Amino acid sequence: MIVSRIRSLATLAAAAGFALPALAQQNPILIGVSLTQSPPGSVVQGTQVKDGMEILKDIVNAKGGVLGRQIRILYEDNQGIPEKGRAAVEKLISSDKVVALAGGHQSSVCLAEIEVAHRLKVPYVNTNCWSDDVRKRGYPEVFNTSPYNTLVSSSMASTLATMGVKRVVAFAENTDYGIGQAKLTGEMLKQNAPQIEYKYETLDRTSKDFTAAVLPLRANPPDVIVLSMLPPAAYLVMNQVYEQGVAPSAKTILYDGAGLADYPDFWQNVKESGKYLLSFALYHPQMKQTPLATQIAAEYKKRTGSDINRLVLQAADSLELVIQGIETAKSTDADKLIKAMQTMKFDSLRGISNFSTAPGHSYQQWLEVPYVNYELTAEKQPIAQTVLIQAPGQKFDPAKIVRPK
Amino acid sequence: MLALDLLINGLIYGCFYALTAVGLAMIFGVLKVVNFAHGEFFMIGAYTYVLVSLKLGVSPWIALPGAAIAGALLGWVVERLLMRPLYAGYASWGFMKDEYAVVVTFGLSLLLINLVDKTVGPYSFRGPSLVDFGRFALGPVMLTGQKAIAALVAVALMVGLALFIRRSVWGLQIQAVAQNRLGASLAGIDATRTTSLIFVISGALAALSGALLAPLVNPSPDIGAFPAIKSFVIVVLGGMGSIWGAMIAALIIGVAEAFFSVYISYDYRDAFGLIVLVAVLLFRPQGLLGEKGREL
Repeated sequence: MIVSRIRSLATLAAAAGFALPALAQQNPILIGVSLTQSPPGSVVQGTQVKDGMEILKDIVNAKGGVLGRQIRILYEDNQGIPEKGRAAVEKLISSDKVVALAGGHQSSVCLAEIEVAHRLKVPYVNTNCWSDDVRKRGYPEVFNTSPYNTLVSSSMASTLATMGVKRVVAFAENTDYGIGQAKLTGEMLKQNAPQIEYKYETLDRTSKDFTAAVLPLRANPPDVIVLSMLPPAAYLVMNQVYEQGVAPSAKTILYDGAGLADYPDFWQNVKESGKYLLSFALYHPQMKQTPLATQIAAEYKKRTGSDINRLVLQAADSLELVIQGIETAKSTDADKLIKAMQTMKFDSLRGISNFSTAPGHSYQQWLEVPYVNYELTAEKQPIAQTVLIQAPGQKFDPAKIVRPK
Repeated sequence: MLALDLLINGLIYGCFYALTAVGLAMIFGVLKVVNFAHGEFFMIGAYTYVLVSLKLGVSPWIALPGAAIAGALLGWVVERLLMRPLYAGYASWGFMKDEYAVVVTFGLSLLLINLVDKTVGPYSFRGPSLVDFGRFALGPVMLTGQKAIAALVAVALMVGLALFIRRSVWGLQIQAVAQNRLGASLAGIDATRTTSLIFVISGALAALSGALLAPLVNPSPDIGAFPAIKSFVIVVLGGMGSIWGAMIAALIIGVAEAFFSVYISYDYRDAFGLIVLVAVLLFRPQGLLGEKGREL
């Protein structure tokens, strides 16, 4: 009798042993990602965010997942439209029951989505929404592994002051990101370098012809033209500024505030206009890499044939934050997850250790986002071969800037 | 000097707008429906030009007619499969003609955008220039070789179209069908074949416009939205269905946008076309060459 019971229990245990992995497979941890997979939003960014998330998810799942469960990412296409982003997040939380959201990459959409995440009290990791307003709302559910406008604008203002220029014109796209960055740069210049004459022009990101905005600069070219724009509009502005002979020139530097050369389609769209572009950038091969970042870079190269860029790493980092949060909380409960993400030491891909608790643009933001300034000195130049005007953690050195003859 | 710059650039862009818009005007002139997929004809032309020349390594001068053929083929297929029910053998659909055309062409537009997005990818491409020389100064005006040559080709195409419509037998048939479809049929004109021809021409012109602009606007899957919106404004401004009206309106819009955006505000650049449209329609509800211009 006893032997029979022991046999039954052993059989049950063995069955459970076989069933558990299957259960883990059937009961994965669901993470929601709302991104742009079709126009009119930036499909280019959406593709990179998805690539970064998929690579990290596959790496984590191959090692057994999190808390013994596989990670499954549910994607929703928001088309870069705030209303669609809001609906996507509502569906992901209410219907699909995701434990957290990540992947937001367009400020206007993020601003709509965080309202839903805040109302339903689900963690939301901002991958690439630069607008300070995402932080200023002070929502405890929102964590920012993304760069932010104050950082970029203060760095660019400091660079412009160091260069000793007199007149600067900025072209900003008509989005929360573009206008926010251009305004902030102006405010910071007013505080730190009031001698610099600065103005910005808002351009429609869906437009194709910017000649009329460029032509007035031909008669009186500024010392620097700042671009607070994203592709594809940024490429067109670059081409048209070049075609009109305004910049880059011996007189005028073209200064990009979005790390445009990082995009896989940069050179195929700008060709000769890209030479002599000075760029504020969030990724350079000389930056410190963690082993996981190196592994992701290799896998990205294998899958896409392109070199890694900052957005792929940012995407992976935002998913990594959720994964480490779940491991720390030992739970997928939203409250516990938020608490864990607020207090844990985050071992990230790019050096994030924790988030600021100061209100305003710093709220739950990783403040020390590393950046560089480099110049593209030849056509089709890979980023690794660009001239570093400001190496990671170093001072900006204007003497290194090369100007066209 | 700035004014001259603006005038030249405005006229050049006006030529490009005209090339795209006349096809839309022709379709409206004959079928009295709006083709919401017209921008995607432009997109197909731009992509054909870029992919044939960049991926196959073919000369841009060969890729250019290749784009026209792709646009013409698309136009023919669209007419044959989607538009023919509007007038051939589907009498019971007659009362919902407008609704049918809107749904079908809008659906086609979304299908083509997403098809290209998924098959070619979301990344934009800058097409190769038709000529090797880059920027050059023409007096006080700075131009690129591509912009200048594309404008010349666009003007030549419009002159060719005008001669075709006025002088050729097919052109006269198009005019007849546009004026009175039933009357033209009674006179022995094959109205179905003529409609098919209009779609072929419309597709080819929009595709050629896309190909000529490909080195200037860097095509991506959603590139068709920009010429489509302009074309709708131009067709209404010129007088619904009038080719000549569309050409004149396109030049007016191109120049108005250039001047207004510099002397008033760049922020409202795309709104200026609409302001001009409203202003003209207040005094001429039929558009610039409506009614009289209805004959093609």
